[in-house]
Amino acid sequence: MTDLFDRVLLPVASPEDARTTCRAAREYLTGSATAVHVIEKAGGAPDKAGVEQREEYAQECFDAFTDCLDDGREIETEIRYGTDVADTIFQAATDHDATAIVITPRGGSRWVRLLTGDVALDIVTETDRPVVVLPDVAHEDEAEVAESEGGDGT
Amino acid sequence: MSGEEQDLAKDLGPLAALTIGVGTMIGAGIFVLPGEAILRSGSLASIAFLLGGVIAMFTALSASELGTAMPRSGGAYYYVNHALGPLFGSVAGWANWLGLAFASAFYMVGFGRYINRIFGVTGDLALGPLSIPYVTVTALAGGAFFVAVNYIGAKETGRLQNIIVILLVAILAVFTLLGTFRADPSNLPDARSVVDTLETTGLIFVSYLGFVQITSVAEEIKNPGRNLPRAVIGSVVLVTVIYALVLIVMSAAVPKGFIADTVTGDPNSIAVVEVGEYLQGAVMGGALLFGGLLATASSANASILASSRINFAMGRDRIVTPKLNEIHGRFGTPYRSIAITGGLILFFILVGNLTLLSGAASGLHLVIYGLLNVALIVMRYVNPEEYAPDFTVPLYPLLPLCGIVFSFALLAFVETDALIVTFSITGAAVLWYIVYARSRTEKQGIIGQYILNRTEEMPDAAVSAAAGVQPDGGDYRVMVPLANPEHEQDLVELGGTIAKQRGGTLVLAHITKVPDQIALPQAADYADELDESTEEILAAAEADAESFDIPVETHRILSHRGFEEIFDAARTHDADLTVMGWGPDSHGSPGRAESAFDDVAGDIPCDFLVLKDRGFDPSKVLVPTAGGPDSDLSASVARYLRAKYESEITLLHVADGDDDVTRTEAETFLDTWADEHDLGDATQRVETGDVETAIEQAAEDASMVIIGATEQGLLSRLVSGSLVLDVVDDVDCSVLLAEKYRKRSLRERLFG
Repeated sequence: MTDLFDRVLLPVASPEDARTTCRAAREYLTGSATAVHVIEKAGGAPDKAGVEQREEYAQECFDAFTDCLDDGREIETEIRYGTDVADTIFQAATDHDATAIVITPRGGSRWVRLLTGDVALDIVTETDRPVVVLPDVAHEDEAEVAESEGGDGT
Repeated sequence: MSGEEQDLAKDLGPLAALTIGVGTMIGAGIFVLPGEAILRSGSLASIAFLLGGVIAMFTALSASELGTAMPRSGGAYYYVNHALGPLFGSVAGWANWLGLAFASAFYMVGFGRYINRIFGVTGDLALGPLSIPYVTVTALAGGAFFVAVNYIGAKETGRLQNIIVILLVAILAVFTLLGTFRADPSNLPDARSVVDTLETTGLIFVSYLGFVQITSVAEEIKNPGRNLPRAVIGSVVLVTVIYALVLIVMSAAVPKGFIADTVTGDPNSIAVVEVGEYLQGAVMGGALLFGGLLATASSANASILASSRINFAMGRDRIVTPKLNEIHGRFGTPYRSIAITGGLILFFILVGNLTLLSGAASGLHLVIYGLLNVALIVMRYVNPEEYAPDFTVPLYPLLPLCGIVFSFALLAFVETDALIVTFSITGAAVLWYIVYARSRTEKQGIIGQYILNRTEEMPDAAVSAAAGVQPDGGDYRVMVPLANPEHEQDLVELGGTIAKQRGGTLVLAHITKVPDQIALPQAADYADELDESTEEILAAAEADAESFDIPVETHRILSHRGFEEIFDAARTHDADLTVMGWGPDSHGSPGRAESAFDDVAGDIPCDFLVLKDRGFDPSKVLVPTAGGPDSDLSASVARYLRAKYESEITLLHVADGDDDVTRTEAETFLDTWADEHDLGDATQRVETGDVETAIEQAAEDASMVIIGATEQGLLSRLVSGSLVLDVVDDVDCSVLLAEKYRKRSLRERLFG
């Protein structure tokens, strides 16, 4: 039987999310790992932010992830474009033949989730492969770093 | 990015691109301004709109060409900044950003009118001593709502904009068609004067801003080479035709004086709605009311979105702080940019009336349109290799020239208040560049590069103008003028060391002296014959600099003058530090240039290090100091050498007298000085007696002496043979003379 962590896909939505995911997942990352950032497209209307701007943002997310790995390991990164974030992640998982999709919950109030759409819920409920939800294991010092960088991080 | 992903990133089809333009423009043109336009210019109102369309078309053609050549985020701002450099970029960026904020405020006031018309609200809201018209209150509420929507980034489905625009066009088509049956030329109001008509065009030009917004999302358009020009030009043609027809119906299908009576009679009336109701009953009136709401809302929404793209492009070029463009971790929106734009919109709604808002939006966009056409001509003239537009403006250069002339000329017919706002913002943007952006932005305009790469051929005035406004990007630039191949290596070593540690750029310049008899443009052709060694020297210097792994620029400068050209070159190439050799073999003998030095003495364009080279050996460095800004520079250089070569540094201070008190004071001074300059671990040496003798004695143990110039200009001292020079001649090791650039006031320069 293949290991659950053989080829994992790590969706990262923001630099903060990338750090959280990396902290939670790094000790399990024994096989290959791909961090994926989905640029949500409006599908025929102007996007809420420009594509060039969001490609820069995706790079910030990946940098945050790599910085947090801190052992010089490189992971693969990929930018995907799609109108539905969860579907785009599933497509990426299929393309990479991922053994699991690894996420950390982002919390947030019901209002925020209502406004932004709860991608984590969609991933868990609509998935066709294992989804590993890891708890955020913030060490105190790292939490401070994340905070001093402004949470969202730049 | 693979081809397939490219397709996914670019998901605006031809219809979507077209409707962005039409949707942004139509809200203002038809649903807000016709009443005002007919009041002002009578039967010529239709002509006023037509004229606006023609003027917009010149710019639409240029925008299409630039857009297909550079489908980048930021549109008009990006093209102007790219072609004309960041000074004009700053003007275009601010004008575009604030112009869109004024336009959005204007759309929201229109939106407020529609809401109030629907609910029959009139009058003022009393807030203690203040009273605000209800239309302003509704406009503020509407503005806040659309800003919030964009802040949160509520997901918009792709087809919504298309549906809205198709619906609007359909409503107006029915309105026009049915209206023409009732049209009677005898109904036409009297024509007003040409000036009235032109002023009307100045007022309604806000109806022609939308097509530029298409270019600001150019990077998201599928197959931009084909779809972008179609959308830009198509949207201008479409709205111009609609405006002209609707205006004709509105003036010819209703009795004379109808518009004047309704607009002035009932404060809540909206001309197009009243005409629709009069002609085709309550259904058409209702449809137009509904259409007006949609149109003004979609105009504002598109403008807010577009302004955040412009902010992003400005931030990327460091014209504004990139912090403005931070993306929200949850919403995925550039929330700061949207919040600030939103604040501006609400402020403008509060303080401006409808004509000021539309006038300022028109005026600011006319400035951009003029610059956009200039940018096109520059790109065509310079024709850089990467410039390959899929669409080209026909009848070049006639049409872009018309665009420049008409855009700037129409400014004269914009309302005075709005014009003052326009020029204030333009002036402030220039100041903003000088004070804030110049030291931060790095991007150089195509035109600036073109001129500065041809300093010999271009008129001096153009060169100094171009050099004067070049961005310096906070990049630390070390210029090394090269003359003598023997010492060149040491100078490059020294300059490279400093540039490397400052994370800067090394600029290698070879100045070729041309005999006075040969004109400079001709000399350019014979340059290789005049100085065959130039290429060799530059190549050798470049090879030496390679090991530093820093950006290196090389320049060849032809001049009738030798030494003084260094000053000009330092200015032209924006050097922060010039490292040059001094001696009989370097840059002409000082004696010959004496008179020139007297003129410039003490007025150096940047920091200077002058090396009297007796072998480059920074192992034991002596730094004599008596304080002062020049010794700050020698201390920095000593630190750089220490970091690179682990040099042993000795600090020397010569006390004024021989008694114990003076000696102790001198020791305290040197100790403090060393700490302040991060040289606390250097050997400190305090001597008494004659300064020169003390330095010479101390220099016996040193491999290099770094002396700061005193308050007088170093270069005048080079000539006059005062203290510093004696030391230079009397010691056996290499001597580095340091003089720091001082910003001196004009008065000091004249009398100092």
